[in-house]
Amino acid sequence: MFYRAFEGSGVFGAWPGWAVYGLAMLSIAVCLLLMVLTLVLVFSLAERKVSGFMQSRYGPMYVGRYHGLLQPVADMIKFLLKEDIAPTNVDKPLWRTAPAVIFTGAFLGFVVLPFGPGFVGAKLDVGLFYAFATSSIVVVGIIMAGWGSNNKWALYGAMRGAAQVISYEIPLAIAVLPVIMSVGSLNFGTITEAQSGWVWQWHVFNPILLVGFVIYFIASLAEVNRIPFDLPESESELVAGYHTEYTGMKFALVMLGEYADMFVVASIGVAVFLGGWNSGIPALDAIVPGPAIFVFKALVMVFVIMWLRWTLPRLRVDQLMNLCWKFLLPAALCMLLLYGLLRVVF
Amino acid sequence: MVKFAKDIYKTLDSVRKGMEITLGYLFKKPVTQQFPQERWSLPERYRGFVHNDVPRCTACLLCAKACPSDCIYIELEGKGKERMMARYAIDYNKCIWCSLCCEPCPTNCITMSHDYDHSVYLRDRLVYEFVDEPVVPYKVPKKEKPEASAGTETEGGDA
Repeated sequence: MFYRAFEGSGVFGAWPGWAVYGLAMLSIAVCLLLMVLTLVLVFSLAERKVSGFMQSRYGPMYVGRYHGLLQPVADMIKFLLKEDIAPTNVDKPLWRTAPAVIFTGAFLGFVVLPFGPGFVGAKLDVGLFYAFATSSIVVVGIIMAGWGSNNKWALYGAMRGAAQVISYEIPLAIAVLPVIMSVGSLNFGTITEAQSGWVWQWHVFNPILLVGFVIYFIASLAEVNRIPFDLPESESELVAGYHTEYTGMKFALVMLGEYADMFVVASIGVAVFLGGWNSGIPALDAIVPGPAIFVFKALVMVFVIMWLRWTLPRLRVDQLMNLCWKFLLPAALCMLLLYGLLRVVF
Repeated sequence: MVKFAKDIYKTLDSVRKGMEITLGYLFKKPVTQQFPQERWSLPERYRGFVHNDVPRCTACLLCAKACPSDCIYIELEGKGKERMMARYAIDYNKCIWCSLCCEPCPTNCITMSHDYDHSVYLRDRLVYEFVDEPVVPYKVPKKEKPEASAGTETEGGDA
């Protein structure tokens, strides 16, 4: 979309094609980065306020005129001003680049999110596959952080975190397969357009795909290390955890990456199962812009993720693995088989 | 197989119940009291920091003797008619807020106030000095309470 806008305007007429293309891509990247940063600021405050009210307390109230609205700004300033402590025997290249890898893995997923009919960063025909692939880069970042920290607790937490993420990627992908079967394409735009029309045409209202949605949602919680699957993080509350040796801006990057990843998996769930940029009513589709509907739905999903955080206790690592391999994976495979049979028969 | 399905159903059901409870809490008013702006309304006999009304103090030392922690420091100087109270201090590092000092006081000059939030950074600041320079202790006049009871001659010293 941007590229055509750039080309269409006569401003860059004298520039070679590749320069215009590069500039368009750069501007998209900057836009997405700004969006990610704003979203993360909003999420950090929303998480604290929602957590607070669910626990019969207020969240931050002091900063900002009303109910701590400027708290994220204060947090960002705090992160920027903190001393960057590097323990003596850390593996320097690994330890220093790990937060960047974690954030990049999450941020790369933003490129394919279908905000609206023309509003995609890049119209990849393998959009869905790309999204799952880039969220695996976060695992590499976690392991780098754990190993590079020269801290056996960090390594332990990182190994558990990596095991959790890669195990849950399997039900995550399989749960999405029936949708791909029905739509016939991995392109996010096509998947979303297949759900246009009325609310009941969304993929989530198909009974078998509803099971798929539940499996996808549970697996996505494990992907982003949220409760009930936050062993790597909780170990940072209890003992260490993979981001123990990070202070200041490096820790802020890890936190940003985590919240961004949360938004990415929520958005993929919305796009694949919950109708993407379609509101359920055709009349509303003409009035309300697609991106607004998409972001609203993604925020609702993120709220549900935060809500679950204060409802469920944390799973032990063996319970976690149990859940994945003995419950989610068989359920996902059964669902895939059933849906495939139904499609062949009918 | 049936147990497998039942387990799944029970899990999802319990998650749903938990989420309902949490959502209910989201919309209830929080129980937090925003401290400096909102405060407890205290009962009348609340035992806060001890306050000594020095102009009415007779320097009888009964409060210092009654204190179980020995936290009231009183220094007197002079003899006989020139007796002066040089120092009246209460050490809140030791005070246990039991109000035993208030009972024996003949003039009711020592009372428990309703203050409770005097936090300090240095422990020495918790020793409250009530007297800056030596003061003459209060002399109780003979007929302090003329309307106390009909007919009986009361001595102003009785509390």
